[in-house]
Amino acid sequence: MGKMEVRGERKADELSAMHRVASAGNTSNSSRPRKEKRLTYVLNDSDNTKHCGGVNCLAVLKHSEPNNRSQLFTGSRDGTLKRWELSEEGATCSSTFESHIDWVNDAVLVGGNTLVSCSSDTTVKIWDSFSDGTCTRTLSQHTDYVTCLASAENNSNIVASGGLGGEVFIWDVEAALVPVTNSSETGVSDSSNGSEKSMAVTSLRAVSSSNGITSLANQPQGYVPISAKGHKESVYALSMNDTGTILVSGGTEKAVRVWDSRSGSKMMKLRGHTDNIRALLLDSTGRFCLSGSSDSMIRLWDLGQQRCVHSYAVHTDSVWALATTPTFSHVYSGGRDLSLYLTDLSTRESLLLCTKEQPIQQLALDDDGIWIATTDSSVDRWPSEHLNPEKLFQRGGSFLAGNLSFSRARASLEGSTPVPVYRAPNVTIDGIPGIIQHEILNNRRHVLTKDNSGSVKLWEITKGVVIQDYGQVSFEEKKEELFEMVSIPAWFTADTRLGSLSIHLDTPQCFSAEMYSADLSITQKAEDDKINLGRETLKGLLAYYLSKKKHRFVPQPSVNGDIPSNKDISSKNITLSKAEVDGNVQQDSRIHPPFQFSSTFPPSIITEGSQNGPWRKKITDLNKSEDEDFPRWVLDSVLHNRMPPREHTKCSFYLHPFEGSTAQILTQGKLSAPRILRIHKVVNYVVEKMVLDKSSDTLISDGTLKPWKLKPSIEILCNNQVLAPEMSLATVRTYIWKKSEDLVLNYRIVSGK
Amino acid sequence: MGAAGSKLEKALGDQFPEGERYFGLENFGNTCYCNSVLQALYFCVPFREQLLEYYSSNKSFTDAEENLLTCLADLFTQITSQKKKTGVIAPKRFVQRLKKQNEIFRSYMHQDAHEFLNYLLNELVDILEKESRAVKSDLESSSSSEQIPNGLNTSHTNGHIKEPLVTWVHKNFQGILTNETRCLRCETVTARDETFLDLSIDIEQNSSITSCLKNFSSTETLNAEDKFFCDKCCSLQEAQKRMKIKKPPQILVIHLKRFKYIEQLGRYKKLSYRVVFPLELKLTNTVEDTDAEYSLFAVVVHVGSGPNHGHYVSLVKSHNHWLFFDDENVEMIDESAVQTFFGSAQEYSSNTDHGYILFYERVDVGSAS
Repeated sequence: MGKMEVRGERKADELSAMHRVASAGNTSNSSRPRKEKRLTYVLNDSDNTKHCGGVNCLAVLKHSEPNNRSQLFTGSRDGTLKRWELSEEGATCSSTFESHIDWVNDAVLVGGNTLVSCSSDTTVKIWDSFSDGTCTRTLSQHTDYVTCLASAENNSNIVASGGLGGEVFIWDVEAALVPVTNSSETGVSDSSNGSEKSMAVTSLRAVSSSNGITSLANQPQGYVPISAKGHKESVYALSMNDTGTILVSGGTEKAVRVWDSRSGSKMMKLRGHTDNIRALLLDSTGRFCLSGSSDSMIRLWDLGQQRCVHSYAVHTDSVWALATTPTFSHVYSGGRDLSLYLTDLSTRESLLLCTKEQPIQQLALDDDGIWIATTDSSVDRWPSEHLNPEKLFQRGGSFLAGNLSFSRARASLEGSTPVPVYRAPNVTIDGIPGIIQHEILNNRRHVLTKDNSGSVKLWEITKGVVIQDYGQVSFEEKKEELFEMVSIPAWFTADTRLGSLSIHLDTPQCFSAEMYSADLSITQKAEDDKINLGRETLKGLLAYYLSKKKHRFVPQPSVNGDIPSNKDISSKNITLSKAEVDGNVQQDSRIHPPFQFSSTFPPSIITEGSQNGPWRKKITDLNKSEDEDFPRWVLDSVLHNRMPPREHTKCSFYLHPFEGSTAQILTQGKLSAPRILRIHKVVNYVVEKMVLDKSSDTLISDGTLKPWKLKPSIEILCNNQVLAPEMSLATVRTYIWKKSEDLVLNYRIVSGK
Repeated sequence: MGAAGSKLEKALGDQFPEGERYFGLENFGNTCYCNSVLQALYFCVPFREQLLEYYSSNKSFTDAEENLLTCLADLFTQITSQKKKTGVIAPKRFVQRLKKQNEIFRSYMHQDAHEFLNYLLNELVDILEKESRAVKSDLESSSSSEQIPNGLNTSHTNGHIKEPLVTWVHKNFQGILTNETRCLRCETVTARDETFLDLSIDIEQNSSITSCLKNFSSTETLNAEDKFFCDKCCSLQEAQKRMKIKKPPQILVIHLKRFKYIEQLGRYKKLSYRVVFPLELKLTNTVEDTDAEYSLFAVVVHVGSGPNHGHYVSLVKSHNHWLFFDDENVEMIDESAVQTFFGSAQEYSSNTDHGYILFYERVDVGSAS
């Protein structure tokens, strides 16, 4: 037996890994490490000019000069905002604002060149609206999703933000934007050129956002916004008057609260709605307020009289969006019933303008039309006649809005469904269908997705590309069709919250999966060379960053002197190929083809910075300033090949002769081998052992068992089932053995030839 | 004992209902939890009748094995077949069987009546399901098309569909609750149904069953660190969750959670709260538009100040008379006496007799199906 082990060691291949292990349990470290930051990447298969998630908000920037065209800003569930240049022909995307890491819930324009957005990532961000996507400030006062914003038409300095947990803040934008000189005196993080500079933070508290990234909310010492305290429940709607003196808020409390926005003090509370308040509008003076609610009603409040003066039963379901004509005489409303209505506030006449395919989330009036955002990724503009709404009513087809909830629902049940005035929008900005369903396949490199349009695609997540577009087929059937009996550890998790596929990497799980280089067609490697999927993926993601950082990169001597091959590197990766030609980069840092991410449709990275909270950026836009902002474990793995101890790359098993088999007993103890070890390797092991035993052991003189001239033909069984040679130990364990105890494999000599 | 019986007979006089028997049950040492529940079940007339009917029509094969169902049926038969109108019976076989089957009830310690009721009903259901399955497989093997006993609805004839069986126990006690969750973002409602044999409700001081039931189905918001993963939004969102009664049961059993674990004390404490239970109850928190109306017919009362000791008695309404069952003793009481069991408005009160399990029978017409 001793001899065999020596031989194994000398071979220096995988068989040596098949060493005995003590049967007394492992001495694995039981102390759990603290929760490490997560690295997420968001995959992309189209250019940056379209939203891939429902559009939650709209803002129109009107230019005074007649020749200057308007601009439209949209904020989406895909986490980005976009600026569109509007023209006769339609709209073209001129910029993408990427920094939020969760849904963008609302956006407002203040003073013409400042865009303010809020997100489920708990932040409010200030952008230069004409820039190429420059985030000038991140405000981290909120501790839960920020759902809504309000600005004042004639006061470019004031913005209010409302969110879950009843938080309402009133911001002085100018004060918030003042360059911070003393870093310890701020609750806002200074950022320029899209890269946020590090900032000392005096105290931190952790808040979990929905993607599991723990964001650190800054506790400000210097500039503090006014807090409008009093909401006991979540806020879903806000509005301010033109001068910014009055703020109204609404939410799950079902009451409209009125605040003095200069002090944040309560003025009144108006009751009447019977469900969540989802939309609010104040008239320019702040005297009248319109509210839209999940109880399907629109209410008009007179704040002077502190009462509801009208309630309009126009919709058959929740009212989510409101817009008014400049004189506050008519209201446009949209909601869950997919319909856009125009209602005359004094005559109570109502008109169905158009119906959409998805619930209407927000409305914005443009020169001669109205922009409608729905839960779909496209937005469109319909004629509105808002300067002369009477014209529309003259055409007829209107109905009188009742004042009891659901009276419209009953009316529509009775068959009096109105015919929409408009059939088609005059401008449509297309989006791309968002991914709504996903399934991680067993090979743990492919993910099957289905989007809004029913299209089913297969992604290779280690390079971030679609490798198969199946079109509109059954997701479930395709999933079954692609089923493979392989077992690979779950080294990543995924979600589709942003309408794209987000892949989350957490340490140490993300280092748990290995593959043979040969199986990934990685050339110039030893037959048994294994690569770690997590590490290679991280290397691929950081390739652009590393090539920029090259000058500071200290090369380390090549481990085995392998010459990097340029053939493996696609033309897309020019910068990288150069780096390799330079010979400065060690062989280990070579990006293998299966891990080369596209530069045409680069994925975005989301992670939490060391100090400024979470950020999101395209991998091609990463630059040196992110140095300190990657989680430590990511840099350790990519730059220094340091990975956390892994427990699950090995599989223990017993190898016994098959019951009734004449094959001799080779080993009694427990063996250990990589999980990915193939059964044919086990066959080889058995054969070699047998040959070795035969040749070394001359005592056996049994006539039936002649010394082997040819290698014996061996098959391996598990649970009485013959195993295919290409199966891995992990696969056998998962699909054949199906028990938690150590795997038992049996071998026997194949009879016949 | 005989004197007590005759006293009751005297009290009822001509009004003694024909064919009805009022028998006390002997206590074998802390078996009052069992006696009080058995009396309530005995005077749950549809349950009693169906049990006896089932027993007489299935005697042939249930003879083979004694179980809680046969023991209960035996006991009820024993009571109904008594020559005397009043008296005392020893539910010996039943209690022995119970102790044999479940070690929780084996000791002589004070037991929880609700726990016993719940165990008994579930056990009966299990026995019926097992039998019906056995019968079904028998029928299948003999490919006979005979009707399956115990009134089981066999809408599916192939027998391969394994839908939950509706036994006569279910028909009496089972209701359906629906758990509705509405995402506050997209407002999509997800509903999940669950069945129940009794409702356990939290109680408050100086409240009523109606308000406790309202709290039971009040809206709960899933928010902050406990958001709801909405499939439509593909993300975590705030949501509102509430329980509604989708199908009100024929017999509504309400368990008042009078025994509460107090963390500071490290033990259970009895809540003596005054909770008014009306003789006629309207269930308003149902999914159906029509309210379900119920009439109170039995109350299991816990007597005592603590959870680990005390006594159980029951109040039973039979043929418009209210009776008080205390183990061997049976007395007639006035209907107005029922309200003395609501609980006490002050924490330390000499009155320690509190309604614990309420049995209501559905009375409204149109729900008979």
